[in-house]
Amino acid sequence: MTKARKTTMLIVSAILVLATVLAGCSSDSKNKPSPSPSSNATNTPSNNPEEPASDVWEFGSEALEFSMYGHYSWYDVPAWDSTVAGRWLKENKKLNITPISAGGNPEQKLSTMIASKSLPDVMWMDRGADVERLREAGQLVAFDDYLDKYPNLKTWMGKDLNLLRSSDGKLYQFPNWYTGRANGNAGYVINKKIYDELGQPKLETTDDLYNYLVAVKAKYGDTVVPFDPDLAKDSQGLGVLYTAFKENASYTHLHANVRAVPQGDNLTSLFTDPTFREAQKYIAKLYREKLITQDAFTQTRDQIEERIMQGRVAVYAGANPTVVAMNAHQEMVKKDPESGYFMIWPIHKEGLDKNKIFPGTYTALGWNVNVITKAAKDPEKIFAFLDWYTGPEGQSLLFFGPEGKNWKGFDSEGHPIFTDDYNAEEVLELQKAHDPIMWNGNTGFIDPAKMKYESKLPAHEQNWAARYQSEITWPTQSNATEFINLVPQPDSELGIVKQRVDDIYTQAYAQSVMAKDDAEVESILDKAEKDAQAAGYGELLEWRTVEWKKNIEIIAGG
Amino acid sequence: MAQATTEQRTRLEQQPKPKKNIFVRFLKQWDIQLMVWPGILLIFVFAYLPMYGILTSFMDYNIFTGGNIWANPWVGFKHFQMFFDSPEFYNVMRNTIVISLLKFVIGFPAPIILALMLNEIRHMMFKRIVQTVTYLPHFMSWVIVAGLVMSMLSTENGSVNMLLKSVNMIDEPINFLSMKEYFWSILISANVWKEIGFGSIVYLAAISGVDPHLYEAADIDGASKFKQIYLITIPTIMPVVIIFMILSIGNLLNAGFEDILLLANNPVLRPVSDVIDTYVYRVGLSNFRYSYATAVGLFKAVISIGLLTMANYIARRSGNSLW
Repeated sequence: MTKARKTTMLIVSAILVLATVLAGCSSDSKNKPSPSPSSNATNTPSNNPEEPASDVWEFGSEALEFSMYGHYSWYDVPAWDSTVAGRWLKENKKLNITPISAGGNPEQKLSTMIASKSLPDVMWMDRGADVERLREAGQLVAFDDYLDKYPNLKTWMGKDLNLLRSSDGKLYQFPNWYTGRANGNAGYVINKKIYDELGQPKLETTDDLYNYLVAVKAKYGDTVVPFDPDLAKDSQGLGVLYTAFKENASYTHLHANVRAVPQGDNLTSLFTDPTFREAQKYIAKLYREKLITQDAFTQTRDQIEERIMQGRVAVYAGANPTVVAMNAHQEMVKKDPESGYFMIWPIHKEGLDKNKIFPGTYTALGWNVNVITKAAKDPEKIFAFLDWYTGPEGQSLLFFGPEGKNWKGFDSEGHPIFTDDYNAEEVLELQKAHDPIMWNGNTGFIDPAKMKYESKLPAHEQNWAARYQSEITWPTQSNATEFINLVPQPDSELGIVKQRVDDIYTQAYAQSVMAKDDAEVESILDKAEKDAQAAGYGELLEWRTVEWKKNIEIIAGG
Repeated sequence: MAQATTEQRTRLEQQPKPKKNIFVRFLKQWDIQLMVWPGILLIFVFAYLPMYGILTSFMDYNIFTGGNIWANPWVGFKHFQMFFDSPEFYNVMRNTIVISLLKFVIGFPAPIILALMLNEIRHMMFKRIVQTVTYLPHFMSWVIVAGLVMSMLSTENGSVNMLLKSVNMIDEPINFLSMKEYFWSILISANVWKEIGFGSIVYLAAISGVDPHLYEAADIDGASKFKQIYLITIPTIMPVVIIFMILSIGNLLNAGFEDILLLANNPVLRPVSDVIDTYVYRVGLSNFRYSYATAVGLFKAVISIGLLTMANYIARRSGNSLW
């Protein structure tokens, strides 16, 4: 080997070794901060002897910083500086939140954080198995001591809080969009221009809907999708159709966490439910005749939004069609005031009472929850912030911006007083931008506050969503609080059963929609019932019946 | 490994030179050793050390015990038993084997054929462009590729359906991504499209090592282009082909994960799309059944090692084995 070659090789080797060492070090430093919060956590109580536990800590009196993680594949906590409210809170309340990203793979991220004992301070996630698992392992902070000191949550949620309590009787979860009032957006959105061009036919019963879709198909052919059910594999618009076939049928019956129909005192199989079968036959007929988009099960949100934006959908139904339809409506009327979208009263089967048809549901507990982990240095301060955030000041900040511009002070009912400078467009932008940091929305406060402004405007000037929420969707959502907490632990025997039943259901659901005729729908559901029973569906239903009755008791007894 | 060391030893014993102290030999080639050790270290730390986690497949693993896996109870072969008894077992195994065989049979020769074809192109500019265009998809993530495939095959304004319609081959758009019959073809085509160019790079390199004199001699002897490919190019690059074939046989049970997860959106496809990896993800990880997931993964690994050993055994007879 020549000398020059040897020198080159030496340099290359040295670089390689260095790279290895560096790589080793960098991962080391990443892991380092993790143990510090937990070691601090054990020290804090003794660190603050001048602060007795009974003292109320006022949010904003001292700097507060914590880390936050959202347990969803489609969500990451935004950079705290990136929002108006975040900047305002940083400057005025000395609050800084460090986002922790799930990187699109929350299961793996959470597992890693648990196993490496580096949990974030606050986690935003669904109620149920994950929360329960963390609680059982003693990773969560109970809120019971804080509830009276920081009273917003208790005031606004009332006795429904009891439904959030874990099996040990303590409260570990701070709910999001909890409410005592009906809310929700599920329903049918109609393309105005197409509806007008077809002579504004009656659209009330399932037969009307079918005839209307046929007419759309005949007139517009392939250029317009007659019925778009949003993401059909999550039920969505197809689940909304299910509710048309029986009074008081609930969208929740189809949900993975329930997947059962109440009959008398028992929860019974969905596969044998005559309403479900009737609905599936109707849906299969629509699909077969190409009245439902053939991409229903494979399409993505982007494809749906694009189509709606271009006005190429005649009827759009889903569990939450409001945002997409509102955006599309606003864009479309700019070009053509006669176009756009409107919502209709839910479709019902001929002979049923249309006031007893509920395409969507809400629960008193709202959507998801915030939990504070034992890794948090100052759980009480974090709770104080969450409580402030869910109170009138926090909610008004998120929905109407910092106090002083669009609103100032509160009226006698506790609603914000809107100033003359109120800028509807700015408010709309703020709400859109703040959506990812609305972690503990207070529906009972914010809905009337929003309506207070809207109700003063003439109908056509009202915010599209607000108008149809107050006129149609809120009165037509049913309360499904009794169906919460029906999910067995995933790694238990029943959890395994649930997983199998879910697999069988998702497959049979899609298959039955794509069935060739009514007989095939029947046979697919018969087979699904047989497979599900073999997998243990019966035991799952029995267990769910017991839990369901417990819920009813808690709700009734308060 | 054991085999390798014995082979080395026998080779050393055959050498007439007196055995030198291993330390002296190491010092003499320290600069070369320095290049190997970082790699060995990385493999040891990231591939061998974590292997103790396999033990959790024989336990009921609770994730809150973290790294201290000894705190979990032993349950023997419970999780393996559960997998073999589960109703999905037959379907999952069939799909895994069929999809991976298809990927092997079609996806393995495809880059070789492309390389042979590219080699015959005399127009340099054109060759470069084709090469770049074909290997670029390799750098796209499956999310993007799946998105492309899905919008191309969509029934509403999907380009494939529009094309078929405009040439009057169909009257109604075909719902490609919701029909079981088409899934395997779509999956394999997307895979070949994505990886063909990148895979061909190594074969092109091997082909460029072929001695040009051989072609000249063949030309003089009047061999046609096809004959030259068949009798010169292919035999010369055979060792490379065999090594890569062994490696891909080791990967045979990796029927794919992201591609299937993203393309098989419609639950109707599950009977043809559910493979070991998607099953582990859905049943194991999403439901915290880590021990079960590990057991299924271990089962897969054992079969893969068996296949690799077998392939290597066969290859050794041709003199081109890995070890």
